[in-house]
Amino acid sequence: MIRTLDDVSRFAQEKGPKRLAVLAPEDAEFMLAVKKAWEATYIEPVLIGDPEKIKRVAAEAAFDIEGIELISETDRQAVANLGTAMLFTGEVDMAGKGQIPTAYIYRAIIREEAKAGTGRTISVVSLWEIPERKSFTAFTDTGVNIRPDLKAKVEVVKNAVFVFHVLGYSRSRIAVLSGKREIGGSPASFKDAAALRKMADAGDFGECEIIAATSFTEIFSGTAGAPQNATQIDISRLPEILLVPNLDTGNILCKLDFFLPVHRRSLVMTSGGPFIIPSRSDFCDSILGEIAMGVVVADRMKEGEKR
Amino acid sequence: MISTFRDILTRAKAAGEKKRAAMAVPVPRQLKMLEAAVQAGLITPVLVGDAKKLEDLCKGTTLAASDCRIVHEPDPAQALVRAIALVKNGEADILLQGGTDHQVLIDGVSDAAAGLMNGRLMSFVSVFELLQRDKLILVTDTYIQNQPTLAEKQWILENALRLAALLEIQRPKVAVLAAIEQVNPGIPSTLDAAILAKMADRRQFGDIVLEGPLDIDCALDRKAAARKGVNSEVTGNVDIYLAPEMDTGYSLAQLLVYIGKMQMAGVLMGTCSPVVLDLPFVSPENKVIEIALATLMAGQGGQHP
Repeated sequence: MIRTLDDVSRFAQEKGPKRLAVLAPEDAEFMLAVKKAWEATYIEPVLIGDPEKIKRVAAEAAFDIEGIELISETDRQAVANLGTAMLFTGEVDMAGKGQIPTAYIYRAIIREEAKAGTGRTISVVSLWEIPERKSFTAFTDTGVNIRPDLKAKVEVVKNAVFVFHVLGYSRSRIAVLSGKREIGGSPASFKDAAALRKMADAGDFGECEIIAATSFTEIFSGTAGAPQNATQIDISRLPEILLVPNLDTGNILCKLDFFLPVHRRSLVMTSGGPFIIPSRSDFCDSILGEIAMGVVVADRMKEGEKR
Repeated sequence: MISTFRDILTRAKAAGEKKRAAMAVPVPRQLKMLEAAVQAGLITPVLVGDAKKLEDLCKGTTLAASDCRIVHEPDPAQALVRAIALVKNGEADILLQGGTDHQVLIDGVSDAAAGLMNGRLMSFVSVFELLQRDKLILVTDTYIQNQPTLAEKQWILENALRLAALLEIQRPKVAVLAAIEQVNPGIPSTLDAAILAKMADRRQFGDIVLEGPLDIDCALDRKAAARKGVNSEVTGNVDIYLAPEMDTGYSLAQLLVYIGKMQMAGVLMGTCSPVVLDLPFVSPENKVIEIALATLMAGQGGQHP
């Protein structure tokens, strides 16, 4: 079981290099992460994009790309399409987004999923490593669905359960977060929680459990009632998966790593393999970590793990 | 400037006169907080409920020997009505939530005729101590409005600004949070944020600096913001975070308390006299801070912030 980011790095080193399609690496911070991942033998990059720009940022990152495969393409949607197609045909094991609007990538993935007839909704899984907790907790969907309906949430749950399955968690616990509280009635997010719980109980999501708690207070509430501060919580009560009600909530919560002592690794799970989609504000180490996480997931998928 | 919870307490103690705090049907777990608030010289409790039960409850506590007043009202529902009336007619300065259910309390307070509203919208501000920066940060709305409209967000912002003024935050920097920092017609929160930003530019909220939409990374980290092309004095130095709706606000406040290990005190805004809620994720020490804030607000008469 992969429990920590150290596990991820070790595993990536062991199982790498994987072929990574790098889409439009046109930012030095991003290119530096690709370089470091290559040096660590996590990956064998295939650079796709505007050769002028790629060569310029490679020089900035002191990355000698002589001998690294470079596919020239200046149209950004074409870059997205090409890289995604390579992922789905198996030419590469994983793909990573550089300086392309995320919407272009999502469009390309959705098209490939449709072509493959998987009927999958795509979603972003943002894993957190919390120092005192020796296993990952993920927020999802933190990047694609603005206001997912129940049907979309079902797919989001399945994607996340699969990611944890791939990481070796045989039975993940899931909390469906909601603004449901002592006042204000029953918000839509809470109604969805009840419906999802029923489905999980019926086995619709495979080996996993949706717990009754829909807020952090409830998650950490024990027989002694609600904990009143952080010193009273048992961090192991935190579930593996936190399904967020909407994109605003997901994105705002998961990126608190800019403030809290936690590390975030986000990825999009496609049926062709993992897609790394760093935030435009992410720094090199965080991107490198996401590449390592992608290597681990790609390796497990090659071993025959299927959603 | 008031930059820590200790400052709040010091300021409230220095304000002199104790405030009368009405509380309907208090429950045992609230006694410790009441005793602490009385001992700190912040309040004189006015407990409303069955007199015999209240006397028994106070027996053996420091409240018994204090100038704590008891108002006999055996029916718990009536006790709340009575407590609210005491505040409304000036016999008490503050309303504390006792054992009354949260929704019942909010309904009582927002009752058009007998409640404590004065035409404003009610919202909740979570005040956090940011020790590493020696400042307080405000996150709102974290408890009251489920899906605020743009007009309601304006009220929520103005409520937070009143609290910021009380905390002597000069020229507050406000981040209107959304999933992304770009205005995206498909994401309604970004539209509301952009409009609030334009209103702020036109100085419709007075002397403040407001950025919106901002995603949380831009709000928290100036370097991250710069990488996204957002250059503003707000990034990395936010005083007030405005959450897009309750699913976000409620989760955000609790995540900061439990995983962020931050100290939080909440303030209900929009009522004509201070009302202190009893939320489960606030420690007894911080409940005393909430009472201290309420006493500071009560000092401002009918126009309290």
